[in-house]
Amino acid sequence: MTKASSTPGKRVGMTGDEAVANSMAVINPDVVAAYPITPQTIIVEHFSDFVNDGEVDTEYITVESEHSAMSACVGASATGARVFTASASQGIALMYEILFIASASRLPIVMAVANRALSGPINIHGELTDQTVCRDTGWISMFSESAQEAYDAGFIAFKIGEHPDVSLPVMYGLDGFILTHALEGVYPLDRKFVKKYLPEREMVHPTIPGNPVSSGLLALQNYYMEIKYQQEIAMDAARKVIPKAFEEFGDLTGRYYKNVEEHQMEDAEVAFVTMGALAGTAKYVVDKLRKAGEKVGMLKVKTFRPFPEEDLAKALKGIETIGVIDRDLTFGAPGPALYTDIKTSLYDHKERPQVLGFVAGLGGRDVAQDEFNYIYKQVLKNKGAEKSVPVEWVGLRK
Amino acid sequence: MSKNKLSEKEMKEWIEQQWGYEKLPMGGSVPFGGSSIYFKTGDWSPFKAVVDRETCTKCTRCFFLCPDSAITMDDDGIPIMDFDYCKGCGICAEECPADAIAMKDLS
Repeated sequence: MTKASSTPGKRVGMTGDEAVANSMAVINPDVVAAYPITPQTIIVEHFSDFVNDGEVDTEYITVESEHSAMSACVGASATGARVFTASASQGIALMYEILFIASASRLPIVMAVANRALSGPINIHGELTDQTVCRDTGWISMFSESAQEAYDAGFIAFKIGEHPDVSLPVMYGLDGFILTHALEGVYPLDRKFVKKYLPEREMVHPTIPGNPVSSGLLALQNYYMEIKYQQEIAMDAARKVIPKAFEEFGDLTGRYYKNVEEHQMEDAEVAFVTMGALAGTAKYVVDKLRKAGEKVGMLKVKTFRPFPEEDLAKALKGIETIGVIDRDLTFGAPGPALYTDIKTSLYDHKERPQVLGFVAGLGGRDVAQDEFNYIYKQVLKNKGAEKSVPVEWVGLRK
Repeated sequence: MSKNKLSEKEMKEWIEQQWGYEKLPMGGSVPFGGSSIYFKTGDWSPFKAVVDRETCTKCTRCFFLCPDSAITMDDDGIPIMDFDYCKGCGICAEECPADAIAMKDLS
């Protein structure tokens, strides 16, 4: 087992889940309340080892459901504690009610989501829908491409969420099995880094003995809108705080993240746009296509909420056509989550690319080179099409 | 008593001034204790708990079960219902072992 006090600079093999557990062992949160669910289980299992072995000071609350897990997190966070939890799919669905309460109460809880397809039909494999459906919960929402990114995300999430201008909960996803269970090399950080990067959380009105605070109150017609608007202001503040949190993290670790990461975008005519682990495959395929002389690039949307409209518009300047690949689904909508958000964001820009939508990899179905090559072919085929092209399901049997 | 308690005047301001999102504390919290005393929730129900002093055995069961702390015991050990806060839930009447509490429409 990897020790919480791993030596920084030395690459260690770990799965995505282990990476998340190890990052939390370094962060040493005050409270963790979680309930195990595939493919998140290893996170809480591994972290409970750290608790048992005395490597962390965390109060670990075992609960009987995810609804209780998030409720316990809300209570703990309201005292000013640094609180972490993790879940997936049905677990997120069960805690959905409390997600809104966490954000409305402005509690910077951090949650790792081992992205998994929702039932039914019952499925345990990778899909981002469990997190994309949370887009209206008021949580800051991010995705990871690799185990390293999932490792780093925990530190960055607390940094952003606990910023006094933001004070919002943050969830970050890692694709089920593809990241959670695959072994990768990860450069760990240590507590010295935490001390520098993550100062202790300071809460404005903590609920502690001798300091009574009424929270979670009734607010009807006369107050509800004002309190909701405060959340909108906080999300806007996050737009400013997030790039700074990325930059500071990069300055200390050498690993710089961006809301929208650009890959081979210089002189590109078409581009893939996607989120999560699909971005890794997309990069690989783009590099191969580039070698074959194709003018193709790719964008990875890391930050899903607040949605980085401006970063996207900037990165897409001069691009003729993009293929947006969603590993998530909405029914009866103009298209899946990322596709609709991108289209909406670009509407006001005079110079905007043609946007083609693809749904792929639902329920953990493989999206490998062949699928990306197929998408690329479709993008070229429909490039410049005058009629609107419907969103296409890739790898679907008739 | 906690130091961050508001006076009745300050509390009235809080309720009546209808602050906007800039002045309201974060997350709809009220950063002091005891504010519920200013919200007289007794008008929520037409039914009020009325005690028959002769039948009451002074067991205090109603005092402990009242979810709104609207029951206190007088010098004789008999419950007094505070109608400013009694929501008329009827728990005390249901639970009274001597059937000394009745729910009555006092309007």
